[in-house]
Amino acid sequence: MKLRLDKKDFRSFLQNLIETYDLFAPVQLAEGVSVYRKIDQPEEVDLTHPNPQKPAKDLFFPQSEGMLRYEKVGKQSQMTSVDEVKRERVLFGARPCDIEAISIIEKVFVGKEYTDVYFLEKRKKTTIIGLGCNHPLSTCFCSSTGGGPFLRAGSDLFFVDLGEAYFVELLTEKGMAFQKNPFLKEANPKDLTLVKELENKAFEKVDFSIPIDGIEKRLDLMTESSFWDRVHEGCIGCRVCTYLCPTCHCFDIVDEGDSQKGQRVRNWDSCFSPLYTLETSGHNPRPTGQERTRQRFMHKFNYFPKTFDQVACVGCGRCILYCPIHFDIRKAILWTSSKRPKAF
Amino acid sequence: MIEQKIREIAKDLLSKKTVDLVIGFGEGTLPLRVTPRFIRSPEKVDRLIWNSFCENNLATYVHKFSRFKLGLVVKGCDARSVIALSLEKRFQPGQIFMIGVPCQRMVDRRKVSRAVKGDILQAREEGDLLYVKGDGFEVSLKRNDFLYSSCQACTHRNPTRADVMVGDPVEELPLKEPYHEAKEFEKMSPEERWKFFEKETSRCIRCYACREACPMCYCSECFVDSSNPKWIEKSFSPSDLQFYHIVRAYHQTGRCSGCGACERACPMEIRLGYLTQKLNQDVKELFKFETGIGSEAPPPLSTFEIADKQDFIK
Amino acid sequence: METNWEPKILAFLCNWCSYAGADLAGTSRIQYSPNIRVIRVPCSGRINPLFILKALQSGIDGVLVSGCHPGDCHYISGNYIGRRKSTTLKRFVEFLGIEEGRVQFSWVSAAEGGKFSQVVDGVTQDIKKLGPIKRFVKKQN
Repeated sequence: MKLRLDKKDFRSFLQNLIETYDLFAPVQLAEGVSVYRKIDQPEEVDLTHPNPQKPAKDLFFPQSEGMLRYEKVGKQSQMTSVDEVKRERVLFGARPCDIEAISIIEKVFVGKEYTDVYFLEKRKKTTIIGLGCNHPLSTCFCSSTGGGPFLRAGSDLFFVDLGEAYFVELLTEKGMAFQKNPFLKEANPKDLTLVKELENKAFEKVDFSIPIDGIEKRLDLMTESSFWDRVHEGCIGCRVCTYLCPTCHCFDIVDEGDSQKGQRVRNWDSCFSPLYTLETSGHNPRPTGQERTRQRFMHKFNYFPKTFDQVACVGCGRCILYCPIHFDIRKAILWTSSKRPKAF
Repeated sequence: MIEQKIREIAKDLLSKKTVDLVIGFGEGTLPLRVTPRFIRSPEKVDRLIWNSFCENNLATYVHKFSRFKLGLVVKGCDARSVIALSLEKRFQPGQIFMIGVPCQRMVDRRKVSRAVKGDILQAREEGDLLYVKGDGFEVSLKRNDFLYSSCQACTHRNPTRADVMVGDPVEELPLKEPYHEAKEFEKMSPEERWKFFEKETSRCIRCYACREACPMCYCSECFVDSSNPKWIEKSFSPSDLQFYHIVRAYHQTGRCSGCGACERACPMEIRLGYLTQKLNQDVKELFKFETGIGSEAPPPLSTFEIADKQDFIK
Repeated sequence: METNWEPKILAFLCNWCSYAGADLAGTSRIQYSPNIRVIRVPCSGRINPLFILKALQSGIDGVLVSGCHPGDCHYISGNYIGRRKSTTLKRFVEFLGIEEGRVQFSWVSAAEGGKFSQVVDGVTQDIKKLGPIKRFVKKQN
């Protein structure tokens, strides 16, 4: 169903959402820095930054998540799970790359043999409103990974900024629940033409030349290659790429508290941390940055495709933009193929 | 030209096998960015470049490459870090060949990005100007309007010690008062200061980019990973974020060269300079010590003077 | 402000001087504010600045660190080293906005039972004026 939302009604539309749902949208924390956060006022929404630093995975796989609480009541210990999501949620303004990434993470957390109830609860109770990218950045390469700036897959509703209004497409059952929304009117043919124009323009800007195709097979032959020494030497071993990556999903579970009360918490962790694979015996199968860099790369482009038939990269470009030493994953991907870029 | 000289020196060092490895800067894939380059053979020295975006402190690689004889391209602040590391005996004497570059002050790429409307696709430096081109715009900016805060207040742009100096010394004339960010901060009331610090640290995501970019952070077990005693938890709480930043800064007392690598590395653009500036200012006032400058004075917190200040002690 | 709030103050006392001084105050039956909880350390130089920060974070309203007078340290120079750490930490913590007076230091010798009680009374008064600590405290969730 194709509708439109006039920008003059945008505030009221958001206010209406806030009254019914827990609304999550990009919020500016400082100039040039934004994250997805629950908002209480429509004014908090900020769409000026192309893509928030912290990706939308934070809504379904939060950086810190209480899993269960325990408390001593008298002589008994009481445990309560913290998995329930009380109110339906709406995620507004996520880009197609972040939304595709959620489907990628879902393959891990909602599998055939086991289900992560914390992830699933949040996923089931969230309506995703995607936002098309009219102005992809030079670092965006979503088309190379099978995505695209106007990819609708994964969104329940899809918005496109037309200037004076938003084009709104209702895509799924959750999306269709919006058909009676008082602020959404029927889209007119001019809107649809403009959407197509914007989509074509955006598609031209995104890099679809990065050779992701066949990378799994190329990497099969490279486990012991000296390639990894070169790739990792500049890496300082921080966690920026893994934390800002919309598909990275490593975590650590810790218990906090004392004998009286406390909780079990799941936190983001990173395969770049030397402690990540440190075993109790003291042995570390990934002792240096070389093994850890190789691991990240292989996980995304070799191990994950072997299990799930898809690379675990959506081409959002955050790792390129925010790496302190400007490591460019595109260079590394290009290097695995016969093409070598000039700047390498 | 500095770039040419760096290449010549690197070639010479590698041909004569004076060093195993030269670490400098190479071209990045994005405008306004460079990436650290590791050159092992004389034929590859053309990959080394020099410009106003060479913002990283390469001294942080001393730990990773401690088995090799290194040639390191260092600006004034980086040279101070190397000297501080040598004082802490982090490498063998004679292991590091410092290729000192008198620094023209580095350009803050974030300030440049904010000054234009849109994605920057090309940038080039020419003298005092920066030509920046993007989708639908092309502007020329005055380089000096877009310098890093730490560079504006720098008092030692010329490496205080180097095995070879690339280029003539530059004038040591800070554009801003040294420790200016700490002084600005101190003008606020305690309540305002705490609010500012709280707000800045609240967006921290514990990625540790600041820690890894800093050449002085090299502990094999960082205090954040200590489980016994457990200083801070791994999970999110505003207080733990504050604790992390207070301690990381405090651990630099008497060791920080003010290079700004921490602030530049942070993806959430948290202000960090004022913290170490305060500590550096105090160390200079109280112990007459500045990291990496002057004689081989021992690290200030590892020693004492009988006459140290103690008017605050009851 | 609550009138029946009593501050919790943590006192790190060096074993050879300040702890003995506190002990002397006790045996001399000198009355002083009962708000301090004592942690005995071998030397004031042993104090890791993180102890002080951890104390404040845990909700302790004030911290007192007390050691031997300069020149009298049982370990010769421990208190001198501790003095440099104390100076820089105190300035830093107050720079950030933690109220001046929450972290205090003193030299108390083993013979100064009277001084110890005065120091504790003084610190307690200062903290009472500042009120319970709110900044930096970790909230239990």
